[in-house]
Amino acid sequence: MAKTSLSRLFASLSEHSIAKPSFTGSRSESVTRSAYNSVTRFVCSSAQETQLIREERSNEGDREAAKENLESVNNEEDEGEDGDHVNKETGEVGGPKGPEPTRYGDWERNGRCSDF
Amino acid sequence: MAASIAYVGGHLQYGVNFCMGQSYKQAIWVPSVTFNGCLQRELSWSCGVSKFLQIRKCNLFQSRRNENWKSFGTVITSAYLRDGSTKYFDFAVIGSGVAGLRYALEVAKHGSVAIITKAEPHESNTNYAQGGVSAVLCPSDSVESHMQDTIVAGAYLCDEETVKVVCTEGPDRIRELIAMGASFDHGDDGNLHLAREGGHSHHRIVHAADMTGREIERALLEAVVNDPNISVFKHHFAIDLLTSQDGSDTVCHGIDALNTETQEVVRFISKVTLLASGGAGHIYPSTTNPLVATGDGMAMAHRAQAVISNMEFVQFHPTALADEGLPIKPKKTRENSFLITEAVRGDGGILYNLSMERFMPLYDERAELAPRDVVARSIDDQLKKRNEKYVLLDISHKPREKILSHFPNIANECLQHGLDITQQPIPVVPAAHYMCGGVRAGLQGETDVHGLYAAGEVACTGLHGANRLASNSLLEALVFARRAVQPSINHMKSSSLDLSASSLWTCPLVPKSLGSDVMHKILRITKEVRKELQSIMWKYVGIVRSTSRLQEAEQKIGKLEAKWETYLFEHGWQQTMVALEACEMRNLFCCAKLVVSSALARHESRGLHYMTDFPHLEESKRLPTVIFPSSHTTGTWSSRQLHQQPIVNSMV
Repeated sequence: MAKTSLSRLFASLSEHSIAKPSFTGSRSESVTRSAYNSVTRFVCSSAQETQLIREERSNEGDREAAKENLESVNNEEDEGEDGDHVNKETGEVGGPKGPEPTRYGDWERNGRCSDF
Repeated sequence: MAASIAYVGGHLQYGVNFCMGQSYKQAIWVPSVTFNGCLQRELSWSCGVSKFLQIRKCNLFQSRRNENWKSFGTVITSAYLRDGSTKYFDFAVIGSGVAGLRYALEVAKHGSVAIITKAEPHESNTNYAQGGVSAVLCPSDSVESHMQDTIVAGAYLCDEETVKVVCTEGPDRIRELIAMGASFDHGDDGNLHLAREGGHSHHRIVHAADMTGREIERALLEAVVNDPNISVFKHHFAIDLLTSQDGSDTVCHGIDALNTETQEVVRFISKVTLLASGGAGHIYPSTTNPLVATGDGMAMAHRAQAVISNMEFVQFHPTALADEGLPIKPKKTRENSFLITEAVRGDGGILYNLSMERFMPLYDERAELAPRDVVARSIDDQLKKRNEKYVLLDISHKPREKILSHFPNIANECLQHGLDITQQPIPVVPAAHYMCGGVRAGLQGETDVHGLYAAGEVACTGLHGANRLASNSLLEALVFARRAVQPSINHMKSSSLDLSASSLWTCPLVPKSLGSDVMHKILRITKEVRKELQSIMWKYVGIVRSTSRLQEAEQKIGKLEAKWETYLFEHGWQQTMVALEACEMRNLFCCAKLVVSSALARHESRGLHYMTDFPHLEESKRLPTVIFPSSHTTGTWSSRQLHQQPIVNSMV
């Protein structure tokens, strides 16, 4: 159970870590960093339900494992031209992975709403 | 209280239709005191510009006659004159969001363009618009349908002609963007992939994965940077428009700006000016807007005698992450709010107040699934009644893996601040998001000031009415930026740039003479005053309003403004002094007052404007709210242009 949820989490977090070329280079950097931070935390918190926050450990082993997981998940999900994701239901190329952003009327990505 | 509005010199006249030859009818006529153009002119112009110009003048005019003032791809230094702290351009654009950039790219084919932007060029509301742009691009869709959706969302306050123009021209504007290099998502059939957002009866939202605004901004900025006729002045804060009176008309000749990196004042003289400065989210404490959105354009336009419209319609989102409720507070105040999607409620999230009482069923039988406006009002009501800072949105009763897979962004953000959303409720508070009102602009983007155009969020074109339909804001910016192009070119061609014009307005002053101690005090006080203003706005001019609360807001804001200005002037601040924080503060005061006055003037509830003492729609009040310019003889520092108006009544 935990493993599937974690891999799905890695998958959606990995969208953020793939920095699209943009003017705000620093912004995508910090998202990548936070993605890895949270990966470490989730690896920890699944082992110990009661503890919410772990101190930042330079846990190289965890980070490497997380990286590998991310890459394998990416390879699984990438299809279509140029490695763009193709939505099986709608045929949308290069679109957001995961649930349809407009399914509840607003525009949401991973829980954050940016238009309504 | 201030100058600008209802209570200067008289009573509010109600329901008078004051036709100004436009399709817009005015709902509330606010008596304006006619502006006296002959003010004492301060002779503190110390830049020595005029002398320098007189010498140069002859040579320049000779070459100008031959040049025809056009520059097609040629080096533009011949077309714009740099002279100390004054720069001359054919077109000046204030703001570097989608409206400003789109306009600049077009008019640059006909003359020199200056884009004046207060921070980095990409720092705009556009950049944060991650949804999409709406347009009729599907054969089964229709302009009529898009129009209908817009008008319904706008609670029937939209200007129909404007809606028709925007919905009709939208598709072409999208195609142009694509031609410019913006890449939108496609279907595997090669056609644009269209999503369907709430309020739209067809799929018509064009988007670029999850960052449409950023993608559009990127494509436009790239084109701008590569255009030799466009000069971008970043970190230049626009202070006031430079205007003069020509009979009963106000004419715009350019803009004063402060280079916030070098602390130097730069004067831009331009034949045409476009206001594209965006919104004013920061009049509220919680907003999705980036820090630059302090209503600069609306304030400058109001001070320049332009007409402002529909400021009471402020769009809030009901559930933004409330930093106050997080166990570990963010180290520095979050610039712009993190909106929690409707999907959390859709997936079963429950709203509680801080006593863990579920309150939505008290307001609507649909509870958490009630329309967003209802939810926003309910939360606002709870917060006011209980005098609390936030409510709680609880999704922890749902399966952990579902929460993490659907909402990883929220989960991550909260976890970083000590909150596990699979175990605990999320603290949320409504956040200001979009200003439907602004500088009144006609179908060509023209304002009441000659030579001044407005496009994008800063403008009130009549498209949004009492409430904006999702994804229509980028569309509005694109359409009106384009429509303002030809009239601008025509105006530019019929104007002559008077090179001595620059000396007609007092130069803004950088407060070096005050010393750093005094400046620190002033900055500190200004910061506190800003927070206080935001607090008043949220408490008294929030989502649920009433006449008594609005009147109290008016009083409190008036007192606060007086207190702040007194402090400044007591410490040696002069009328013409400028500093970024002080200028932003005066703009925030100006916009806040515009919102309050407009809200007081609408005696009904419509769209985003809700009044407990007028809770229903009134057909007779289905008219825009209009604020006319105020007198400069009375009024505060925030309601007067920094410089004095020139004595001459007509420009040479």
